Amino acid sequence: MNPPISLAGVAPIDCRTAVARLWDFLDEELDAIRLAEVEAHVALCARCAEHYRFARAFLDAVSESWQEIPDTTQLRERVVETLTRQGFRDGR
Amino acid sequence: MTMSPVERDSEFDRDALSCLPEVARFARSLTRNAVDADDLVQETYLRAYKGYATFQRGASMRRWLFSICHHAWMRHLEVRKRVLLEADTADATAETLSAVMGHAAAQRAGLDRFITDLGLGPAIKSAIEELDPAFRSIVMLVDVEGMAYAEAAAVTGVPVGTVRSRLFRARRLLQERLFAHARDAGIVPADSPTSHSTDR
Ligand SMILES: [Zn+2]
Repeated sequence: MNPPISLAGVAPIDCRTAVARLWDFLDEELDAIRLAEVEAHVALCARCAEHYRFARAFLDAVSESWQEIPDTTQLRERVVETLTRQGFRDGR
Repeated sequence: MTMSPVERDSEFDRDALSCLPEVARFARSLTRNAVDADDLVQETYLRAYKGYATFQRGASMRRWLFSICHHAWMRHLEVRKRVLLEADTADATAETLSAVMGHAAAQRAGLDRFITDLGLGPAIKSAIEELDPAFRSIVMLVDVEGMAYAEAAAVTGVPVGTVRSRLFRARRLLQERLFAHARDAGIVPADSPTSHSTDR
């Protein structure tokens, strides 16, 4: 673990704090101050930077694994059929 | 404000039915099979159409449909109580630190680069399918649909803190499964000493 890293205007945080904020940071759920603290730490700490790099790549891979949108042409027809029985009028 | 049935239907067509592919994908991730997923989508749209008057103007249509879909599926499963008990003991910070420690171990074993390799999609997809329903839905909402924690909380009807702890545990579990998958598949990085050992 590296000692807290200081950057002008931002309170230093240690490695444990930096990695504890990993997911919140990548999900853009941190407030501006905590975000700046993480950015400052990761800019100067190679080990934490590597954890962040990996986590980002992991999230990209997770997101991509489900990107394929199913073909719903037939399903749409069935749904419209069901709705029509409820009085729905399909505009098309 | 009243709307004629024709106006209402054409609005439903434009705003709700246009989300069908995404709702179908979400349903598929929840049910893990095409037949149940199609039934769930049908049920979702039926409920949405019948309850369309309760949809609040200006709210997110996608979020509304996802929450109907999720609710219908949870009711169908009747696993809510069980899921709440086991998922909510997760501690978000502990899960995050545990994921980082897992990464560090995988780095030492030379397995970490495998995760981002091309062609891993199917393995990740099935690892997601193997997650508990409560974890799976959160991963789909946040990691695939790109929702914020608060949005995923609104869809699933659980507090934001619960979304967070479930999400972090799910990610830790996914990473563990993928590292195990890499180990089982005998995957080693190109510059690892073992890959330079004498072949036959
Ligand atoms: Zn650090």
